[in-house]
Amino acid sequence: MTFRDTVGLALRNLGQAKLRTSLTTLGVSIGIASLAGMVSLGVGLQDQFVDRFTKSGMFDAITVLAGGDLPGPLAGGGRGRGGGPTPFGRRGGGRAAGAAATENSRDVNDAALAELAALPGIRTVYPNVRGAVEVKFRGASEFAQAVGIPMVIRGEGPFQSIPYGRFFTSDTEDACMLSLDYAKRMDAENPGSLIGQTLTLNYPIARRGDAGAPSGGMAMPGGIQMPGGLNVQRAELQCPIVGIVERETGPFAAGGGAAGLMLPLGKAKAMYEGSPQAAAALLRDPTRTSVTYPSAVVRVAKASSTQDVEEQIKKLGFQAFSLNDALQGAKRAFIILDIVLSLIGSIALAVSSLGIVNTMVMSILERTREIGIMKAIGGSDGDIRRIFLIEASAIGCFGGVSGVLLGWLVGRVINFGANVYIQQQGGTPGNLFSLPFWLIGGAIGFSIAVSLVAGSYPASRAAKLNPIEALRHD
Amino acid sequence: MPALLETEDLRKHYQMGTSLVRALDGVSIAVQPGEFVGLLGTSGSGKSTLLNLIAGLDRPTSGALRIFDQDLSKMSSDELSVHRRRNVGIIFQSFNLVSTMSAAENVALAMMFAGVSRAERDGKASTLLETMGLGGRQQHRPRELSGGEQQRVAIARALSNDPHLLLADEPTGNLDSRTTRDIMALLKELNERDGKTIIMVTHDPSLAQQYAHRTITMLDGSVVAERTSAASEPAVDRT
Repeated sequence: MTFRDTVGLALRNLGQAKLRTSLTTLGVSIGIASLAGMVSLGVGLQDQFVDRFTKSGMFDAITVLAGGDLPGPLAGGGRGRGGGPTPFGRRGGGRAAGAAATENSRDVNDAALAELAALPGIRTVYPNVRGAVEVKFRGASEFAQAVGIPMVIRGEGPFQSIPYGRFFTSDTEDACMLSLDYAKRMDAENPGSLIGQTLTLNYPIARRGDAGAPSGGMAMPGGIQMPGGLNVQRAELQCPIVGIVERETGPFAAGGGAAGLMLPLGKAKAMYEGSPQAAAALLRDPTRTSVTYPSAVVRVAKASSTQDVEEQIKKLGFQAFSLNDALQGAKRAFIILDIVLSLIGSIALAVSSLGIVNTMVMSILERTREIGIMKAIGGSDGDIRRIFLIEASAIGCFGGVSGVLLGWLVGRVINFGANVYIQQQGGTPGNLFSLPFWLIGGAIGFSIAVSLVAGSYPASRAAKLNPIEALRHD
Repeated sequence: MPALLETEDLRKHYQMGTSLVRALDGVSIAVQPGEFVGLLGTSGSGKSTLLNLIAGLDRPTSGALRIFDQDLSKMSSDELSVHRRRNVGIIFQSFNLVSTMSAAENVALAMMFAGVSRAERDGKASTLLETMGLGGRQQHRPRELSGGEQQRVAIARALSNDPHLLLADEPTGNLDSRTTRDIMALLKELNERDGKTIIMVTHDPSLAQQYAHRTITMLDGSVVAERTSAASEPAVDRT
């Protein structure tokens, strides 16, 4: 008997009992819908997470901290906008003092940056420079966190799309970018209109004795005298707004260390180098010859080599961690979530597979005489077994296809409802359910496989029927 | 001339409750090509059991059963199914047509198991049904056909794979006397014109006497009488 004839006969048999076949198929599709829906939810949540993670960060980035310091996403900078009157280099200065006491510690300074840049497989290295400045705009004044943004991350991570304006054109440009949230606080109605307007930034600079003012601003008269002969003065910078990005961001671009106000890195560095804290740190430790940074970001050439490079950096005596670490952990958690969701989804499929067994056993009982006839006119055990297996897998195939459709439909409806709620709560709508091709194919394939397993017992029972007894059956 | 079919001390025993039933108890017969043999006996005599063994629907407990020099008692279940589709065509008292299939589909089904292509089996089913005088009833379901017509469909099905041996188990048991004569005439024609060897089980001695060349009478699982009947010599011998 040819395979084609077997399929034809099997489909014909299913057509003979349309109601029973469709009810069983419906059972399978509900099972598959629940399984595919659950996995789809797991995948959707993971996609959402990874997507936001990816958009907010860079997977080829490794954060490098001075040795002996505790690594952590918040290390190297305070969080939150307008975080109080903390001048540039607050944490850097504070840690520099602590780090000086630790023996094997390595400072993150310009020499260290050069050493890191010389490691194999590295694209670029830049320091994390940040601090609070006083922002004056339209007569109002407030303090804000500002971060230095290197030119190399143009077009990456959060800078992939810039809703208003543009990225910096040079590393020392007198310009700033804002996060959308920050911009909305200045102009809630039309944040785009801020482009081209000028902010006045005030920040402290330290001068030793009567040396000239550091670059980046002009010193104001007066000032406060600090220990070590430092004279702290107020500097001012006129800074046009050139661009607005969607999210608060920073050189880590990991959510951690983000700030609403962004300056070109060169500009920020100059401000940082002149800050009282950086100067004080230099004074405290006579072995230091250059400014230390709270942390630096190393970008590897290939994201896949992040782990290796991270190890090398640790061998040099620095602390290092990457977004990749966090993502790997999160992915492991999602695998567990997926397994739990698919187990819950499988319950319905397990019940519907019993439905297949039931339908097939009933069908064999009804068709016993027919099976006897088929055997008497030359059907082999294998022919009979194949007919029933194909009937089962056809139920699985139809059930799988309609189940995926049903699951998709239910997912859309739930997603719609959830997004209405999310938007009411002020969140960003997204796809909670994701139905990639592998899931569609996998669900249909799994449905066929489960049906084949469920059909194997009835099929072998049919194949083993004694033809003489089967022919006597009414 | 070598026998088409030969049994040697063929036994079929089975357990029914606590007692052992000796359905066949040492049967040794031979059937020549072209013969029309009537297998007579009361119910329980073992004639149907013998026919089932020859058809390859069942296996003997002991003894030899050779058809075309192949021993059926040593065949696997797959080999038996090949035997059923190639060597024998079976005709039943209750027709045993698949009720959900048309006459043509029933005839084609046997060829489907033999792996005949769709075009070929459709053509052959149509030809066979026309030969049986059912040209206009090919698409009818069994329940839309009379008993005689159903048996003709069954005979067409039995002939579809061109077997040498036709096995008929009370082929006219469910038919009235006029239809019985038609069906018997058809079998006689298949025997005489096409040279089919026929073994027919019947409980009606007169029917066997009238159409078969030879009758074998069984009782309690053994052959008790073998005689040449009133019918003429075997077709093959005559030509």
